[in-house]
Amino acid sequence: MDIDETHTPNVVYAETAQHRTAWWLTAPALCLMILILLVPVVIAGILSFTDYSLGNDTFNWVGAKNYDRLFSSSTYEKMFIATFTYVVTVVPLSVGLGLGAALLINSMGRIGDIYKTIYFLPVMATLLAMAIAWEFMLHPSIGMVNRTLEMSCGTVLEFIPFLKNGCAERFPLWLGDRDYAIWVICFIGVWQGFGFNMVLYLAGLTSVHRELYHAAEMDGAKSAWEGFRLVTWPALGPTTVFVVTISCIRAFQVFDTIEAFWPQGGGPNKSTYVMMFAIFEKGIQQNLIGIGSAITVLFLVFVMFLTLIQRWLVERKVHY
Amino acid sequence: MADLQIDHVTKTFGDTQVLKGISLDIADGEFVSLVGPSGCGKSTLLRIIAGLESQSSGAIRIQGQDVSGVRAADRNLSMVFQSYALYPHLTVAENISVPLKMRQLSSLQRLPVIGAFMPGAHEKNAEIAASVKHAAQTLEIDRLLNRKPGQLSGGQRQRVALGRALVREPAAFLLDEPLSNLDAKLRVQTRTEIAELHRRLGATFVYVTHDQVEAMTMSSRIAVMMGGEILQCDVPDEVYNNPLDIRVAEFIGSPKINILPVEASNGGLRFGDVVLPTVAPKMLKGPIRIGLRPEGLRLAAEDAVLTGQVMHVENLGSEIFAQINLPGHDGRITMRASPAQRNSLHIGANIGLAFEGRAALLFDPNGKRVFNPQVDPVQSEVA
Repeated sequence: MDIDETHTPNVVYAETAQHRTAWWLTAPALCLMILILLVPVVIAGILSFTDYSLGNDTFNWVGAKNYDRLFSSSTYEKMFIATFTYVVTVVPLSVGLGLGAALLINSMGRIGDIYKTIYFLPVMATLLAMAIAWEFMLHPSIGMVNRTLEMSCGTVLEFIPFLKNGCAERFPLWLGDRDYAIWVICFIGVWQGFGFNMVLYLAGLTSVHRELYHAAEMDGAKSAWEGFRLVTWPALGPTTVFVVTISCIRAFQVFDTIEAFWPQGGGPNKSTYVMMFAIFEKGIQQNLIGIGSAITVLFLVFVMFLTLIQRWLVERKVHY
Repeated sequence: MADLQIDHVTKTFGDTQVLKGISLDIADGEFVSLVGPSGCGKSTLLRIIAGLESQSSGAIRIQGQDVSGVRAADRNLSMVFQSYALYPHLTVAENISVPLKMRQLSSLQRLPVIGAFMPGAHEKNAEIAASVKHAAQTLEIDRLLNRKPGQLSGGQRQRVALGRALVREPAAFLLDEPLSNLDAKLRVQTRTEIAELHRRLGATFVYVTHDQVEAMTMSSRIAVMMGGEILQCDVPDEVYNNPLDIRVAEFIGSPKINILPVEASNGGLRFGDVVLPTVAPKMLKGPIRIGLRPEGLRLAAEDAVLTGQVMHVENLGSEIFAQINLPGHDGRITMRASPAQRNSLHIGANIGLAFEGRAALLFDPNGKRVFNPQVDPVQSEVA
């Protein structure tokens, strides 16, 4: 059948009218998206090639100088190291712990709900307020952490080198020590973040067909690990892709703990000088909009890259 | 291949007793259907045989060996699930190969990527691939081996589930309503195929269904279950012609058997004022029930026993089922007629019905079968 024959002028008119209505209906959403999403991104992109400061009437084009500085200055090298250390540590740990906690809670009865609440509490709490609590706990002399560690002095636990050194000299300064600061931040990040992943995994686990476990059992999967590999893990594929992406983006965005602990600049020896903090420091505190925008654009590239990987994975690998 | 013994198995969930002491011997190579309405405990029994659930008391023996406490993976049984339970992320070939891989490869050899390089893995994988291909050819799904379950139709998925069950040689096959998700036409076709598969493999099959037609057409023996008990277990012919319980008579047969309340006295039976041509055992007195299959009734003029009015007619082409209202009896009775009798069976027509005395099945007030002296004088005397 020839399709063109059915296209009478009336039909064509109706179709264009329909198209026009469709555009009208999407227009508000499109306008908003352009206005509050694309325009700022484009402006940030443009500003990243200038030396603009807020309040100035004019600016000079500086070409790729801002980007050049990002990749040559040692401060920004520290920024990249701190950011990637944080992401590479926090993402696998918070995803792994989230999955583990979800599996354990899922295998429990009613008591599981209590654990669910406990693990989710840090997610709901304001990180800024929590940071103050952590600051007290990690205080070198009166903090709970070092006080607890001191209790091990003189006991058999002293065979652990870390405790032995601590008892002989002093325990770490934690937030004041450039070797420990980033790991403390990572620890708080994991503590705060895994409850969220756990909730996502718990939701994912409800969609696993129970009969599949029975099929796996009939097929000879004897251990819980084999059942997990054959049924649970593949079924959680889409959840895992989502959880990893979200965790990555959240890890790239870490800011509030660092701002709360070291408002004056990225931790001891800039060891916790993460990207978000750098944007804040350069763009807001020092009013260097150009370099701030350049870091923002770089940040956007990372996040976009992660999102694209996620889309690709969702469509290719884990889709069935 | 092995025989199965179910020995006084009970199962209680909280206060409810789901299985009330089931005993059943299934011989090697037999095809036994567990049939009954939903909630009768048939699926629970199958899952207890499989080891997916444990019995409250009693024993399951496979080839004489008590398997209570042996977990499902070690019982060497294959199961086809109602939902098929295919692994959605694996291709058809991988799905079918899972039972072999789980049993024949070591955990090192099963590791992704590096497992294939473990010593001996190559030969075993080749063997497994050959078995998978053979199973796929048997079920004519060898063209689908690279697809994923999501890309298959219901019938194809069902075959893959069957393939996964028969790729190894289990002691017995357990099938849990495998046809209930298929459309009517495919169900009839697959029914035949499963029956043929059973003949070819000569293996023991335990088949759970709520569809009495499936049970009748495929099985060597049918176990009719109701309320957690096996009411009768026999060859399909016997279950149909000689039901021992009124519930069995009502469950087996389509359209349903006609049950009429009658009065027994002095070896005779009366339906209302009508004296029926059936002889009852002498000691039977008072109200009892008789069952008449739709094909046991025929149209009659002068020798009519019952008269009634045609309320509804179902024409199936090769046969006609007429629903007839009998005066003094609430509920309709169904009779089967040949297409030639179509003209006399229009709606509203008053017709006469007759039946052979020996066609009636007698049930005492408790619903237990009483033997008709006309059919089986010996058994009726015992009763």
